[in-house]
Amino acid sequence: MSEFLGYERDDGSIGIRNHTVIVSTAPYANDTVKRAADIVDDAIPITHPLGRCQTKPDVFQTYRTLLGYATHPNTYGAVVVAHAGEIVDGDELAQDVAETGRPSASINIHEEKGVMNALDATVDAAQEMVQDASAQRRVPADMSKLTFGINCATSDTTSGLCQHKATAGAVWRLIDDHGGRGCFAETPEFFGGEEELSERAVNDEVRQEILDRVDHWDKRLQATGYDVRGAQPTPDNMDGGLTTIEEKSLGALVKSGDGPIQDIIDYGAKIPDQSGMYIMDTPGHGAESVTGIGAGGAHFMVISTGQGHTLSNAVMPTLKITGNPHSAERVPEQTDVDVSEALVGDESIDWATDQLWDEIMDIVNGKVTLSEAMGESQFAIHRIGPST
Amino acid sequence: MADRYLEVVEPADNVATALRDVDAGETVTVAVGDEERTIEMIDDVGFGHKLAIEDIADGETITKYGKSIGNATEDIPAGTFVHVHNVESNYGRGDLAGDEEVEAISE
Repeated sequence: MSEFLGYERDDGSIGIRNHTVIVSTAPYANDTVKRAADIVDDAIPITHPLGRCQTKPDVFQTYRTLLGYATHPNTYGAVVVAHAGEIVDGDELAQDVAETGRPSASINIHEEKGVMNALDATVDAAQEMVQDASAQRRVPADMSKLTFGINCATSDTTSGLCQHKATAGAVWRLIDDHGGRGCFAETPEFFGGEEELSERAVNDEVRQEILDRVDHWDKRLQATGYDVRGAQPTPDNMDGGLTTIEEKSLGALVKSGDGPIQDIIDYGAKIPDQSGMYIMDTPGHGAESVTGIGAGGAHFMVISTGQGHTLSNAVMPTLKITGNPHSAERVPEQTDVDVSEALVGDESIDWATDQLWDEIMDIVNGKVTLSEAMGESQFAIHRIGPST
Repeated sequence: MADRYLEVVEPADNVATALRDVDAGETVTVAVGDEERTIEMIDDVGFGHKLAIEDIADGETITKYGKSIGNATEDIPAGTFVHVHNVESNYGRGDLAGDEEVEAISE
């Protein structure tokens, strides 16, 4: 199969969902956004504590991340809700959305003279977009358009031995057989494996950039005056048998396979159109790394988990795979693909890859993930520095 | 015959991952590359945790995936539970660095 059924966008991208998103530009618009999304069926709220009193690099990162969701391939249209005159400018964001050909609207609570009027206007705009989106039909699209996001969560020692191998098998099937893209992240979880990872770079410039970014994270962490071992591995990782950050990293890198790395890109930046595997420079904090990869435009995300996890994203369908038989029992409603038979049974890793690939193809073509069915989603933009 | 539930990733490794609960006093056989090694278990080791498959001296490298995952903080005889109580990471000595060594980071 070399085609899937997706939603065409004016900017040339193809979505696997047709979402209307309601985006807050500041914490003071969050309640209006959440209330509007409660009223309008199928509208997705994007709320966060940022967008004010941040220094320039953080403002840029916040803006880029919000724009990434408002113009995501899976986004049909976006309603932007601002509180007043924030440094993340609502009108500018709505204008940038409109330039991709997507419907957009800009609502400002001060200009509307209060939250009740703003809520009314937000609901009106979102309701119209949801209805218009529902009239759009899926059309055949080339598999090379797809971008596969990869993250691990609540890792344990089974992660690097089983489910990460199946995940690597599936993402390289998309890249090698269909010309698609993959993106993984979590730079502090390269510690201990950075040399080997950097050797996979397509050229010396990218190789050095990978090493520089790992070094930068090491310095950022040390600048706090504390030890990475105070935070990594996490207590749940240690419960699962992971002893040190090196052991966690060497296992985590298994999910990226062993093929060439095209580039390492900034947090929340658009994942390039060229086929191949990319790294996004993010923290190991799952909600932040997944939010970043979603902003980059990944169509779907595979969370390869050791002990089970609720981590998911509303715009980028998120499916969970585990090879730990206890986890599949612990959080069954979070386990889309259980490949534990490849770890403690008679099945092979190739079998596990096939199980994951088949589920991905169903989800790409419209089947909802368990977390979509449950209405679960976390959204957390990574911040670089302090608030001012 | 080697126990398939005790996984040694690379022949150079000195630890195995237990994919079943292992009891102190058990005699286990692990596959290390093409060879088999028999070990008398000293400790209980739970699912997902690690056991030493050879005697590891205090300060010696703990090897998994054929690479260092840290150093032993005490002598670890074969058959011992290997985890945070007897292994230390090589990374992140920010807590030990003097202020002059800590670079202020701005992007």
